[in-house]
Amino acid sequence: MFKPRKKQEAVIAFQGGKMGVSAVPGSGKTRTLSYLASRLLIDGKVREDQEILIVTLVNSAVDNFSRQISEFVRDAGLLPHFGYRVRTLHGLANDIVRDRPSLVGLDENFDILSENEAKTILRDAALAWIKANPTALDTYLRDDLSENDYRKVRQRELERAVLNIADGFIRQAKDASLLPEDIRRLLDRRRGRERLDLAEMCWEIYAAYQHGLNYRGAVDFQDLIRLALATLNADADYLARLRSRWPYILEDEAQDSSALQEQILRLITGLDGHWVRVGDPNQAIYETFTTASPEYLRQFVARADVQARELPNSGRSTKSIIKLANHLIDWSMKRHPSQAVREEKRPLLPPLIEPVAKGDAQPNPKDRPDEVHVRLDPYTPSDEIETVVRSARAWIEEHPDETLAILVPRNDRGSEFVQALQKLDVPVVELLRSTTSARQIAGSLTLILEHLAQAVDPARLGRSFEVWKRDERGDSDQKASVKRVAQLLGRAVQVETFVYPALDQDWLDRDAQMVEALDADPGLRDTLETFRTTLRRWQAAVMLPVDQLVLTLAQDLFHDPLDLAIAYSVAVALRQEAEAHPEWRLPDFASYLRSVARNERSAAFLSENEPEFDPDAHKGKVTVATMHKAKGLEWDRVYLTSVNNYDFPSDEAHDTYMSETWYVRDHLNLDAEARGQLQVLRGELEQYVEGQASRDARLDYVAERLRLLYVGITRARKELIITWNTGRNGDKVAASPLVALHHFWGKERS
Amino acid sequence: MDFELNPLQRAVIERPPQGTVFLQGMAGSGKSTAAAQRVLALIGQGVSASDILIMVPQRTLARPYVQALEAAPSAGGTVRVATLAGLARQAIQVFYPLAAQRAGFRDPLVAPTFLSLEAAQYFMARLLTPIINAEGLFASVTIDRNRLYSQILDNLNKAAVVGFQIDEIGARLRDAAQGDEEQRRVFEDVQRCALIFREYCLENGLLDYSLQIEVFVQHLWPVKPVREYLTRQYRHLIYDNIEEDVPAAHDLVRDWLVTCGSALLVYDTEAGFRRFLGADPVSAADLAASADEIVPFESSLVTSAPLRAFGEALAVSVGRLPELTEPADPREALAYDDSRYFPQMIDGVVSRIANLVHDEGVLPSEIVIIAPFVSDALQFMLINRLNEAGIRARAHRPSRALRQEQASRALLTFAKLAHPRWRQFPADVDVTHALVQAIESLDLVRAQLLVNHVYTHKSGTLGPFSSVPASVQERISYLLGDRYETLRAWLAAVNQSEEPADEAPLDHFWSRLFGEVLSQPGFGFHDDVSAAEVAANMIDSTRRFRQTIPSAGEGKTFAQEYVELVEQGVFADQYLRSWELTDPDTVLIAPAYTFLMRNVLVDYQFWISVGAPGWSQRLYQPLTHPYVLSREWLPGRPWTDADEVAAGQDVLYRLTLGLVRRCRRGIYLGFSELGEQGREQRGLLLMSIQQMLRRLHHEQGEEPHV
Repeated sequence: MFKPRKKQEAVIAFQGGKMGVSAVPGSGKTRTLSYLASRLLIDGKVREDQEILIVTLVNSAVDNFSRQISEFVRDAGLLPHFGYRVRTLHGLANDIVRDRPSLVGLDENFDILSENEAKTILRDAALAWIKANPTALDTYLRDDLSENDYRKVRQRELERAVLNIADGFIRQAKDASLLPEDIRRLLDRRRGRERLDLAEMCWEIYAAYQHGLNYRGAVDFQDLIRLALATLNADADYLARLRSRWPYILEDEAQDSSALQEQILRLITGLDGHWVRVGDPNQAIYETFTTASPEYLRQFVARADVQARELPNSGRSTKSIIKLANHLIDWSMKRHPSQAVREEKRPLLPPLIEPVAKGDAQPNPKDRPDEVHVRLDPYTPSDEIETVVRSARAWIEEHPDETLAILVPRNDRGSEFVQALQKLDVPVVELLRSTTSARQIAGSLTLILEHLAQAVDPARLGRSFEVWKRDERGDSDQKASVKRVAQLLGRAVQVETFVYPALDQDWLDRDAQMVEALDADPGLRDTLETFRTTLRRWQAAVMLPVDQLVLTLAQDLFHDPLDLAIAYSVAVALRQEAEAHPEWRLPDFASYLRSVARNERSAAFLSENEPEFDPDAHKGKVTVATMHKAKGLEWDRVYLTSVNNYDFPSDEAHDTYMSETWYVRDHLNLDAEARGQLQVLRGELEQYVEGQASRDARLDYVAERLRLLYVGITRARKELIITWNTGRNGDKVAASPLVALHHFWGKERS
Repeated sequence: MDFELNPLQRAVIERPPQGTVFLQGMAGSGKSTAAAQRVLALIGQGVSASDILIMVPQRTLARPYVQALEAAPSAGGTVRVATLAGLARQAIQVFYPLAAQRAGFRDPLVAPTFLSLEAAQYFMARLLTPIINAEGLFASVTIDRNRLYSQILDNLNKAAVVGFQIDEIGARLRDAAQGDEEQRRVFEDVQRCALIFREYCLENGLLDYSLQIEVFVQHLWPVKPVREYLTRQYRHLIYDNIEEDVPAAHDLVRDWLVTCGSALLVYDTEAGFRRFLGADPVSAADLAASADEIVPFESSLVTSAPLRAFGEALAVSVGRLPELTEPADPREALAYDDSRYFPQMIDGVVSRIANLVHDEGVLPSEIVIIAPFVSDALQFMLINRLNEAGIRARAHRPSRALRQEQASRALLTFAKLAHPRWRQFPADVDVTHALVQAIESLDLVRAQLLVNHVYTHKSGTLGPFSSVPASVQERISYLLGDRYETLRAWLAAVNQSEEPADEAPLDHFWSRLFGEVLSQPGFGFHDDVSAAEVAANMIDSTRRFRQTIPSAGEGKTFAQEYVELVEQGVFADQYLRSWELTDPDTVLIAPAYTFLMRNVLVDYQFWISVGAPGWSQRLYQPLTHPYVLSREWLPGRPWTDADEVAAGQDVLYRLTLGLVRRCRRGIYLGFSELGEQGREQRGLLLMSIQQMLRRLHHEQGEEPHV
């Protein structure tokens, strides 16, 4: 039974209008929002033809919300699944666009391209541009590049650079609802005033890219949001209908909304609609990848017509850890070495985290100040790994019923930790770029596709059997017996004598070892007969289009909801590949899927269907996660690693920045410069001054990384260890916030 | 005939052969049965069969007549069954010089070429692609090219069947469209392309569907001799499913009624499913004013009270009926399971069907599985699982691209193998699949084995079975080897001619391949009705293409051009093989509209994916609009969201009522929380059903449960 805290009650008491809630990590905002939704339902605030719309960020949160609300609603004796709808913003945009596609010129079976496919089209456009303008970007290269370096840049770097610049520019343009023709118009209007060559380049690539999408009858994810907004703007009656359908909007993770997303929700709520926005601007860590900004939420909360609430109480961490996190906020406001960061960017702001009151259902863990370590030892990268891994291994041995995570700033660093742990046989759970489960699904499907592509190969027959029996891999005895049978099947050199035996030719009765195995295990014959029937079914399905084939296989292979969802996404990805490569046949699809499964290639389905990760399901193991992936999760002990001035710069002279590439002159960040030129076009900036956008991007990055550090710290329940390393070239120093925390904690402890 | 006809039906059937009767009533009230018997009665009364015209909007709808005529002893001559387009083509062929002159064809002496939809699309693509690319037309719409062309054609067709000038298309669509100016400007592109295409057709003597109708209706029918040619030929009219026909057909029949001997017009209330093709139930209903007598058939002869109550409940929930009049509890005729996942729903459907067939002795042909959309995987899953449960099933999905059909892909592969001059050598996988399709009992493993040994991709050649090592021959089996050898030898014999000029037309090639090999015992199409049907459609489509296309692209033969177009998805399997007989041993799987257009009754319907939005969605086409381009639409009026909502409700209302009225005993509602694509399902049908169930629970004070 959920017993709301006082501050939570102030949210749940919401009667109507607009409300903005600033929450801190671990303050129970999902539960509070779910409870509010169920309360509105129970109080009869929505009619039969209406719904409460709950909007959140990622798919896994959708399930979480649905489950909590249905529990609350069921407890109150109402039917679950009625009267509310939980959507991600993309899901909502999809609903809207599919309601009235013609309004925005969409054919009814338009396709939404996966990031992967969209990238392919963008790459083609970028390559075409480079081919036509091979030296156009030379003006941005450093003067002192050697001939050799210059060649290297032309051969290896240029494509990636152009692609990134265009990608960021197009995202920003779409977020401003600007299409290529709009950009062209704006460029023409400013002709002769300044040189906006990056914008010119991006316009050209953008136009080619958009043409490529249209021709295929497809849109990308960004378009989906843009078109949803256009739909709402196109027909006032339709908007009115949605307003009436969704009288209440409850928005979670509002700090990660982009301007466009906010606009969609604002339109639907209108002046009289009810809108509750909950978020934690201090945890906004997706700005560099998207066009989101925590400022939108802050401004909303500050509005006169908005009821401002706070959820400052958190029972997640010990008081010591809370102190440390709060100090980081304080330091960022008062002591941050960069005035611009302190005063303009204001990365972290109150509310500070407060422990819960006595008698709370989720009390803070008992304080253990001696289990918080902010280390300033200058480890080399490999020393850091070794130290942390040894410490983690010792800890889980002593605490088999508790949870532990090693958090890293980047995926590749995470992989290094995973390897080191595996070398020492430490049980490890990866929560990195792509989930193992998605890769396993892709891997399983690959093996079956490979069997179908070369059904005469007995080894592939054996592997198919293992895949078919994948549910039994958890039990080591069963796993071994599956393996044995698979090996036996691998002996069926004439595969047809097993799958389609002629009369009296059944391999099961003719192979001596098989006969022996059948005698030893009375259930085996049935198993193999069923497998044989399944194989025949799969082989009969082989002539279906590849996506339909995968869906068919999935029904036989997977039973877990998430596995099925991933298989669906795999099918969609394959269909898109099939459209892009009409000449592909089964072996090509199998090898594509294999490279995805091996993580040599990315695909949208790897990230789309992330399972909700439950740290408590992995007690006694080490979880390795990026700080981004760790958001929303908590562990008993947390190691924050690599906290140096490369991953957490502070706008100081000795800092270097990933996006200011080595071959570009004057520390320019070309992605940022291109976006800066777009801002000039949009009239947000009076005139274009080279370098200004790079500087601003740097400050944004500094601010976001500081928030990332805050997210990292607040993942810990009881114990926290922060370390840093000197970097690959040994030239990095401890991040300034780390030094500040170290001193603060030293003082506290003495 | 052991028909049990009621007095109302008998009165209609036995009328003397004079006067016009407007027969209206709901589906299942016995109208078509009466009308079909009326044809026989007319003949019995001494009317010559060749004086009778049975007119229908679509040939599948003539099934009851064809069956009745087949069952009755022939009575001098045959009865003509025709559609508006059929009549149009007949008249144009006879009176072309006259038509050509009036319609503005450049050269009235050149024989007209009638274009199939595909051929029209082909010409349009050839003509418009360069213009669209050069001028950047249609930049603000997201649509693939095939559909773009087909929507422009659709607009031309609407102008013809509704009866407005083609230069009004753009303005009509534009005036109705909401959205920003930029977006609405696209209708100027639509207009331009439509006019360019029309100009080209007039220039070259090509008649697409729109020109066939327009020339006939505007230029020939008003001419006395032409009209007399038709009206004197057919003195007695039976016109069924008039609500599914276009206004131009209604106008024509209205004129016809003035002079004809007798006429029976049959109107199905609350139908009009072919709206997207221009069907207009309102203009159909207006024909009643021209009738001497209106005969209503008011009650259903088939639908049970609980099913009627179900239909009513749905009608109430979409606001089409103020309140329920039928006191029965709809749940008595309904069965429903709810599952979280799609496959669970499929399993539920299969086990219930197995139960009906095996335990309750229901004929499989009395069961139909209906979904708003039938994907390949859905079809495969259903057929496969039903087969495993010992039940035969077949799917009927018209309008699919030919390239999606396995049978047509096999035919394409064989065509490429037999024409090495094209240098389009199929991949190993394609050859394997084609052989599995073509050779009965050849499994995938043996086929791969065979292809590994006989096929050389580089030259696209198939080696003889004798070249396969003996041990492998044995594995494949000599029986299958023999069959392969027959096929290979046949292909090799065709492959003699090297010169394009000597190449036999592709339709001849396929016809022979089908007739001489594939349909023979031991080959894959022998026992596979669906595959045979696809082959027949493909042959038809090829022949028509060859007959209408004056010249192929540079350096290519017709055959090559055709093969390329099929692979691009241009050609659709849309030839409705007329009234194929229902097989009593087979469960039908069909999209909802396809089932309705077959116009048959069944005992049990399984509605699956009831959560899908497709049940209440009209076709969304950004470049055309079936409602705006209809006769009832006031030009200049904007199409608003309220219209959209009403259209959705109307679609759901007519569709579900149409289905309910074609069901005798029970409907199963299959629902899964997540649809086939793993998305949550919240369509209007589901909402309406839930509303109904909640109301019933509420009324009876029961614990809610869904």
